[in-house]
Amino acid sequence: MVRVGARKLGVIRKIATYFAFFCLLFWVGFPVYFMLITSFMRAPELGAKPPHWIPPEPTVENYREVLIGKAGEVGGYGSTTEFTRMMPALLNSTFVSVAVVLSNLFIGGMAAYAFSRFRFRLSRAAYFAILMTRVLPALSLIVPLFVILRKLKLVNTLWALILTYTIFILPLTIWILREYFDTLARDIEEMALIDGATRWQAFRMVVAPLAVPGIIAVGVMSFMEAWSEFFFALTLTNSLTYPPLLMSFRNLHQVNWNALSAATVIGVIPPVIIAFVFQRYLVRGLSEGAVKG
Amino acid sequence: MASAELGKAKAQQRKHWDRKWIPYVLLAPALITIFVIILSPLATTIFYSFSNIDLIRDRTTFVGIDNYIELFSSRLFWKAVEVNLKFAAIVVTVPTLIGLFFALLLVENFMGRSIGRTLLILPWALPWIVVGLLWNWVVNAQFGALNGLLYTLGLIDKYIPFMANEDWALVFTALASAWRQTSFSAILLLAALQTIPEDLYDAAKVDGAGVRARFRFITFAWLRPTLTIVLLYNVVLGFLQFDAVWIMTQGGPGDATMLISVLLYRYTFINFDLGMGAAVSNVLGLITMGVGLIFVRLIYRSHTTYA
Repeated sequence: MVRVGARKLGVIRKIATYFAFFCLLFWVGFPVYFMLITSFMRAPELGAKPPHWIPPEPTVENYREVLIGKAGEVGGYGSTTEFTRMMPALLNSTFVSVAVVLSNLFIGGMAAYAFSRFRFRLSRAAYFAILMTRVLPALSLIVPLFVILRKLKLVNTLWALILTYTIFILPLTIWILREYFDTLARDIEEMALIDGATRWQAFRMVVAPLAVPGIIAVGVMSFMEAWSEFFFALTLTNSLTYPPLLMSFRNLHQVNWNALSAATVIGVIPPVIIAFVFQRYLVRGLSEGAVKG
Repeated sequence: MASAELGKAKAQQRKHWDRKWIPYVLLAPALITIFVIILSPLATTIFYSFSNIDLIRDRTTFVGIDNYIELFSSRLFWKAVEVNLKFAAIVVTVPTLIGLFFALLLVENFMGRSIGRTLLILPWALPWIVVGLLWNWVVNAQFGALNGLLYTLGLIDKYIPFMANEDWALVFTALASAWRQTSFSAILLLAALQTIPEDLYDAAKVDGAGVRARFRFITFAWLRPTLTIVLLYNVVLGFLQFDAVWIMTQGGPGDATMLISVLLYRYTFINFDLGMGAAVSNVLGLITMGVGLIFVRLIYRSHTTYA
């Protein structure tokens, strides 16, 4: 009796699992797939009714247009420079994101280590205050921030973005790394200290190698935020990076939807690759650190 | 023997000496930059909210709480609050529930699990602005994927202009935000699920706990701290979302998707009324801070009971 019930339960469970799996495929895939096929189609094929679910004659023309930018030939956008600005914007975004990851890990790592390993005056209050900056509406700081950055002569430079992104991501970094450092056994570190290692040596040889998953998780998250940030990039620079450029692309009077989709796909390749490559670390880093609660 | 004792003593001494200044040095870069880039603009914004700023004549006059009075008595503000509450309701519930559903699926052992996990990360890897574009595509009235699907299935014979309808516009902007947030929620929950020790389930089974009891007393209990964090993220997003909504509707049609953040943008960058913009942003900041405080309390409480 019990056995039959168990087997039946197993079958139901299997069916439920695959049904749920199908839901996941549809939920994620549906919006993405449509954008993807649009980027391989020509403009006239887009409005077809019923729509093409597979590009009838796949073409890479849109990608060429976006990357090489033959602005002269596509009459409608003759006066705009969006196409020729794509490649530089992607390079700028890469530079900004990498710089943000490094500076964020450096500054945030130091702070997280301090919170994790030392008890000092106001440590709780400082930690709490830093975390709370995370829930401030960044939008509201833009006007005074603009004034400050203008005084520092940083407006319309990549440094303005690197500086602001680093700082807005810091709370998250400090929080995750602190929780992560907290879970690493202190004894090994203490042992190294007793053996005569300096704090820095102990950190470099003992703590850092053990914290690699957490560090990678934080690095990936800060890369994503830096690559994706739109509003500061729009207001502090003249569309130097990818997100605001994509927006101006979209606001062209005659939107070429196929080229727009190609531009979108190209711009998300770097973060998507990074997310896929590091997904294991991401989940592991988070599970050993922050989400332990 | 003696030298080992001596070394120990020296290390103790150094550690003691360490503790005094090292944390401050380590914290200095973070605190200084946070002060310059976040706290000083914050102070300025608070000051702005009590002022009337005339950009043309470059004159700032102190007006007390006039901006707040004007704000709280304006129909537009309460409309934005109403819209934002509805928006936040979707952005909190959908990602939390669907995220939990996907996380529970992806700890199961089945063929396609690794494909599922990889796909799950995809929305989270997309910038908000791309998410907005993507969903614009889905709901587009001329060639949208949703219209295409409904048409192909024979459910409609005329494409529906979803974004011209106030209710649909709010639902779909919220769904777009929920879509990306679902992945993030699921990633966090999946990470927590993976840390549940298997023997807990075995022990419960031996004790005769059924599926439902095991879910409630092991899975759910274990997930509670993470669920709190996920909820915090989702509530904060519900009030701070701007990018995706801005690219999809810019607050329209009418004021149907005018979140508080969109109102803030309108005051500041369209009306150039910095005083009112600052007042809105302070109200918004207080809302998110309040929410944040409640959740931090909850998280700290779970800290003390579990650890």
